[in-house]
Amino acid sequence: MKSKKMSLKTVLIVFFLIELIIAFFFLGSTLHIGTNPDTGQKIWFEKKTETMNQEIDFDIQPDLYVEKYNVEEPWKFTYGSKNLYDIFVKMFGTGSAILNFRLWRMILYLDIFMILLALFIRFKSSKIPSKIQVVFEMVYGFIDDLVAETLGDNKRHFTKFFLTIFLFIFFSNWSALLPIPGISEPTKNLNVPLGLGFMSIGLVHFLSLRKKGIIDYAKGFCEPFFIMAPLNIVGEVSKVISISFRLFGNIFGGAIITLVISSLTKNVIVPIGLNLFFTMFAGTIQAFVFTMLALTYLSMEIVD
Amino acid sequence: MDPNTTQILASGIAKGAAFLGAGICMGIGALGPGVGEGYVAGKACEGVARSPEQAGLITRTMLIGQAVSESTGIYSLVIALLLIFTTS
Repeated sequence: MKSKKMSLKTVLIVFFLIELIIAFFFLGSTLHIGTNPDTGQKIWFEKKTETMNQEIDFDIQPDLYVEKYNVEEPWKFTYGSKNLYDIFVKMFGTGSAILNFRLWRMILYLDIFMILLALFIRFKSSKIPSKIQVVFEMVYGFIDDLVAETLGDNKRHFTKFFLTIFLFIFFSNWSALLPIPGISEPTKNLNVPLGLGFMSIGLVHFLSLRKKGIIDYAKGFCEPFFIMAPLNIVGEVSKVISISFRLFGNIFGGAIITLVISSLTKNVIVPIGLNLFFTMFAGTIQAFVFTMLALTYLSMEIVD
Repeated sequence: MDPNTTQILASGIAKGAAFLGAGICMGIGALGPGVGEGYVAGKACEGVARSPEQAGLITRTMLIGQAVSESTGIYSLVIALLLIFTTS
């Protein structure tokens, strides 16, 4: 047991040293994975020529990468003789037609990953749990307890919804750790948090409408007096804005800060620490906060 | 004055004003969350000192409360970034 741990540590240290050497050797250049349109190489280093502003533009709008490099290549899965990417292009058009095509693709990959993970855990589960099963049982139990505490014991079926939201935000925040240029977390685009927020608040209102009936639901809006109704409606809209901008701002701001500071330090070591805080710590916390707030909004309407 | 020069001057003034606004926005916007998070952390310290066996729960609650109270600071960060990167 001890020797196994020691060997793992040694491997990590060796990797760290190799990365240190590479980082100093290729100071100020970036690693690209894809196909170089000029030389045909699959993996190549390139001296950085962009200014920080351009780099941030690339990071905010990853579609610009598609024009500059042919970074689609590693994402092309071949299925039979058909290319999955070509099928997507036939179905939805090229990236120029739909500006958020890259975001869509990122979300699709994330969904496929989550479905495969769910199937893997479902069919590999046994009475003697493996390590990954223990981890996911712990996560499930945590959210399940939270739902039972907040909504009551007979409403445990909401666990699926909140667990899905939590895992989606969690994995999309952590997808920034993949070292492929042009990749971006879906939550960094405002559309995704806004959609999640609308979904959560819409669910709250739908369930409230179903529970109270239409007359009591309408009465709930003119709570103290009838005159306050516009204010209450604005309050409901601001719920969506606050819940989604919190997530968006955290991830977006963290990504920008990581980008700026790592280009100031020539991408040596510092990005590791920044990613550790902004991606892993803040990403997990924000995923949990989003779930928790959606749960709280639901409990305010449903629970008597 | 040459109309071209006027245009350059106007865009320069707009950019400078945007940067200034971003700085002021971040500076004032960071005050509230800083005070709030410090207050939450202090109260959590008191709670841990009173009942050390509840340290895990208190720390978790503190982190969530801080993440929620941080949001106004995050809004100001978003506005500052928008001011910096969308003014041309």
